[in-house]
Amino acid sequence: MVVLMTRIFTRFNVFVAATGLVAALGGAAMAARQQPSQIVDISAERFSFTPSEFKVKAGQPVEIRLRSDDTDHGFRILDTNINVIVPKRGKGAVTVTFEPPRPGRYVFECSKLCGAGHSFMRGTLIAE
Amino acid sequence: MAALVTAVPLQAQTPAAPAPTERTTGISGYMDFHFNKPEFDDGRLDFHRFVLLITHNFSDRIRFVSELELEHAFVEGQEDAGELELEQAYVDFLLSRRFNLRAGMMLVPIGIINERHEPPVYYGVERPFVDTVIIPSTWFEAGVGVHGEVGRGWRYRAFVMSPLNAREFSAEEGVRNGRQKGSDTNIGRPAFTGRLEFVGVPGLTAGGSFWTGRSGFEFRPRFDVPVAIGEADARYSRDRLELRAQFAHVAISNAGDLNDALGRAVGVDPNVARAMRGWYGEASYRVISGTHAGDIGLFTRYESFDTQFRMPDGYLPLEEFDRDAVVFGGTYWPDPDIAIKVDYSIIRSRSSVVVAPNSFNVGLGWWF
Repeated sequence: MVVLMTRIFTRFNVFVAATGLVAALGGAAMAARQQPSQIVDISAERFSFTPSEFKVKAGQPVEIRLRSDDTDHGFRILDTNINVIVPKRGKGAVTVTFEPPRPGRYVFECSKLCGAGHSFMRGTLIAE
Repeated sequence: MAALVTAVPLQAQTPAAPAPTERTTGISGYMDFHFNKPEFDDGRLDFHRFVLLITHNFSDRIRFVSELELEHAFVEGQEDAGELELEQAYVDFLLSRRFNLRAGMMLVPIGIINERHEPPVYYGVERPFVDTVIIPSTWFEAGVGVHGEVGRGWRYRAFVMSPLNAREFSAEEGVRNGRQKGSDTNIGRPAFTGRLEFVGVPGLTAGGSFWTGRSGFEFRPRFDVPVAIGEADARYSRDRLELRAQFAHVAISNAGDLNDALGRAVGVDPNVARAMRGWYGEASYRVISGTHAGDIGLFTRYESFDTQFRMPDGYLPLEEFDRDAVVFGGTYWPDPDIAIKVDYSIIRSRSSVVVAPNSFNVGLGWWF
């Protein structure tokens, strides 16, 4: 009986260890997959984003770092759930990670009223 | 689709605030409060501008934008007493990044200041002289047009708008008083205006603009007074340094006939020029930046502007209107949207008789 219990316990330990190893490897793989290999720095200023057009790889995450040179702006990618405030000059930056699901053109715009030329603040992310 | 948002403020990591979503109505505005002390005269305290912007997104593709401005705090029916102006009220049909439609009351896309005139974004209590007497900022008219952006930062606007009214041109202020301002305007012969600018390099905005229209519609018998305006400008900022330059030229054809007609109508020959010209260069530097107490920037600007640059045959230029100005001072931003400004303006003209007064100016402007 004791021998049987020892074998079961040992097998259970091996199972747990194996499960943990698989989970760790899977997690590492997922982390590696989610780690953005594409980084884009965008500056926002009345009334433009620079760059206002850039290319990324579809199906892979892109890290978009936004900083303002004047007032606070908005950054919204149309037809997605991304919509953030870009802090005022000197108040830091905001980073957005976006994974375009398929190739195409994704329009982004300033979503916070920033002045007379607010409507001109648009750009395009091109996923290839 | 995966999306992740992180904010990285200077002091601590906090989540980004949610921004407005589609189908929203927004209200914003700016104000401009001035103290001006001209040489040889008493100081003046003036609540120069109170401006409200109201926008509404009908959808991602259709957007309404308006800008209502009260100048000099009080409206009595004369411009000197104050003005209530509808500077913008248009609907944008945003079809694509490259091509969009706009209709309504719109800003003329010319120069640095006309489309970008919120007080915290320019140095000096008053706007540059070139952006006042050569380019009549704030210049807005009713019209329709297209705009968009192509490539990596090439942006264009092309509008059909109401023309200037030559009956209101003057020697001192050029075409400024000829703006119809979208009020029951004559559109018998519409004006055309456009701008091409490049914003593809961080910190750089460079552009060129034009305006062309026929302005003699109020005269009987009618005769043509074609007006053409060309303009080029550039802004460049890197770290704390910012440089600006602008050049503008106004050409008025048939200026001699215009002077004759105005002389017959009002009894005084207005001496309107056939060409006006102005340019300026400005350098500024933020001597303090990124502190808790805010930023401080110093600037100097040289301007040359002449509303009698070339005269029609038989007319001599009045030298008092050939002017130069040096403006220097500073701005303190306790917040990026609040500007406390101080400057001193030295103006000289070619005339030895008519002296342009220097002035000391203090301003408080803010945007919300």
